[in-house]
Amino acid sequence: MPAKLFRSVSALVFTASLFATIQVVSAATPAELQKLRHDHYKELGDAFKSVRDASKAAEPDFAALEKAAEIVNKASVDQQRWFPKGTGPEAGKTRALPEVWSKPDEFTAAQKMFAERAPKLLAAAKTKDVAAISAAFKDVGGACKNCHDTFRAPED
Amino acid sequence: MTEGAAPAPRVRVWDVPVRLCHWLIVLFVAASWWTAETKRMDWHRYSGYALLALAVFRVYWGFFGSSTARFAEFVRGPRTVVGYLRGRWAAIPGHNPLGALSVLALLGLLITQIALGLFAVDVDGIESGPLSTYVSFDTGRAAADWHDTLFDALLWLIGLHVAAVLFYLLYKKENLVATMVHGMRAFPEGQAASVRTASWVRLVVGVVLAGLLTWLITRG
Repeated sequence: MPAKLFRSVSALVFTASLFATIQVVSAATPAELQKLRHDHYKELGDAFKSVRDASKAAEPDFAALEKAAEIVNKASVDQQRWFPKGTGPEAGKTRALPEVWSKPDEFTAAQKMFAERAPKLLAAAKTKDVAAISAAFKDVGGACKNCHDTFRAPED
Repeated sequence: MTEGAAPAPRVRVWDVPVRLCHWLIVLFVAASWWTAETKRMDWHRYSGYALLALAVFRVYWGFFGSSTARFAEFVRGPRTVVGYLRGRWAAIPGHNPLGALSVLALLGLLITQIALGLFAVDVDGIESGPLSTYVSFDTGRAAADWHDTLFDALLWLIGLHVAAVLFYLLYKKENLVATMVHGMRAFPEGQAASVRTASWVRLVVGVVLAGLLTWLITRG
């Protein structure tokens, strides 16, 4: 096979796969992104309940507690990517309010509060000190509420 | 009762525990509604605990309490209910056969609501009932959804209950609200005996039982 032809074929294959990749990435429609976000927050709620349950138990399962705190901590970082433009109420059923996108500075600040407090919960989980865990849990819960009050629609 | 020269004699229909229980349930259902609407979840939990104790006591009193409080005395079969609706019924102190069904429905739904609330979890996993640690997040969420849905059903039942009381007040000219306050109701002479009250010991046992059971359940 002449080198020139090989190069052309390679270029074609490369271009085709590039387009295919772009196709896959952009395949996530706003509705799908909303669903993903919903699932992420559901997982977060689940983890939050695990932390709460473990901290209330007579003999707390600290391994499970730490694992759940890690999920919360990871979510506190990841959630900053969960609100791409175009995934508000205009794209389908969501409790995310338009303020998420119309007040970006305040929204970022609210997300930051969560991202700053979640690591403290994880740190507390590692100390196995129930009082510290409960206090940190309350703090993170406050960050949740702080954001929800402004940027999430009430339940119908 | 002021118009006749010889007013019909009044008999005691409801004993104090039944009346107190009734009005406290009214109070705490209202409180539970308000605290849920305004998201005061700490107080919502306490209000639910109060209803739990009241429900336990009322069920206990339905077996061991005064005569008009006992299920065995006022719950009757479908034939009797149909007969009552056709006018075959001699009024006696206490619930009539149709009202008995209302009592069962209200108490049953109230107990279901309390039970669901014990396991309920909010969407964020922050607020939850005292027994939610025994169920998964998804189950807790399902309990919360049912807790929400059944409250509407409870409001409809309460509406029906109040409508029936209003029917008595406006159409039959009888004030059942007052009867539930002072416990007395007028009956034509010779037709009715007063409620047979239960002993103090039984009352104390019931209160202690309600308190103890509520404490055991709500401490999680």
